[in-house]
Amino acid sequence: MAHQAHSFHMVDPSPWPLFGAIAALLTTSGLTMWFHLNSPYLLMLGLLTTTLVMLQWWRDVVREGTFQGHHTPMVQKGLRYGMILFITSEVFFFLGFFWAFFHSSLTPTPELGGQWPPTGIKPLNPLEVPLLNTAVLLASGITVTWAHHSITEANRKQAIHALTMTILLGLYFTALQTMEYHETPFSIADSVYGSTFFIATGFHGLHVIIGSSFLLICLLRLIKYHFTPNHHFGFEAAAWYWHFVDVIWLFLYMTIYWWGS
Amino acid sequence: QGLKPIVSTESSALVFGTATKVASDLPATDSFLGKNKVPDLQKLFQKTDGLPVHLKRGLPDRLLYRTTMALTIGGTLYCLVALYMASQPRNQ
Repeated sequence: MAHQAHSFHMVDPSPWPLFGAIAALLTTSGLTMWFHLNSPYLLMLGLLTTTLVMLQWWRDVVREGTFQGHHTPMVQKGLRYGMILFITSEVFFFLGFFWAFFHSSLTPTPELGGQWPPTGIKPLNPLEVPLLNTAVLLASGITVTWAHHSITEANRKQAIHALTMTILLGLYFTALQTMEYHETPFSIADSVYGSTFFIATGFHGLHVIIGSSFLLICLLRLIKYHFTPNHHFGFEAAAWYWHFVDVIWLFLYMTIYWWGS
Repeated sequence: QGLKPIVSTESSALVFGTATKVASDLPATDSFLGKNKVPDLQKLFQKTDGLPVHLKRGLPDRLLYRTTMALTIGGTLYCLVALYMASQPRNQ
């Protein structure tokens, strides 16, 4: 049986990159068919295949790391760099929307009544549900750190409790935001105020859902004994992502909700 | 190619115990929410049967792979047909 003379990971041939690219094609052309020709089927197929590829690709990463032992310290270093670079790219993604917000709100045009919030827009009170949302996400940042410490201290039961609380707080945030969206007196079509508000908070909400899903997968893996006190990078990646989501919310709260009212 | 030895000390260490602990040494409280099946899975996925990791579990993997392939390839054909039709001029 051949053994490698290096500590890197030469992956088995895999169909997921190709299928993932095809799924992206189906999703984007599906959007086109939906927007212009009122047909949602290609889009549904695109989203379904994207989900299937994600599930199987990441399932394979877990198999390669936890079951086959390929995630040596060198490999883990690469995974860390990868996650950090990905989160950095997401920071730039949000930076664009913050730029758009400040572009419109720092010099409000005559069409908006020369003021921000524009004439006729009744913004949400930042000291009501948005403040509760801030407390919820800050608390979830604490519970995820508690979970991490529990893992490194080999306290399985406490880790499971803390991670579960983190996920519940994330779901609570999503429920509160959904309710808020229903209650806003303004819509996405209400001038550039509505556009910047709903695009920025909407994408943030999507990232909360993604982060909660990632944490949920980590909870299942934690229960199934995949993590050790010294090796649990999947959990760390999820925790980094969760802290990023929390920080984005803090910026949203301070700029759009508070300063922007 | 380049598989690590059967039981890697890092991966098989139990979350709640030391690296030398083994499943049969567990006190009763440690079966909270299920037993540790990781060592068995490690054996399964390290079998030298030549299968790539995405098919290593046999039938369930094959079914899922074939479903995904059918949907992506079928979807590509549907996509090309739909885009061809959408690009035809509409006569008023």
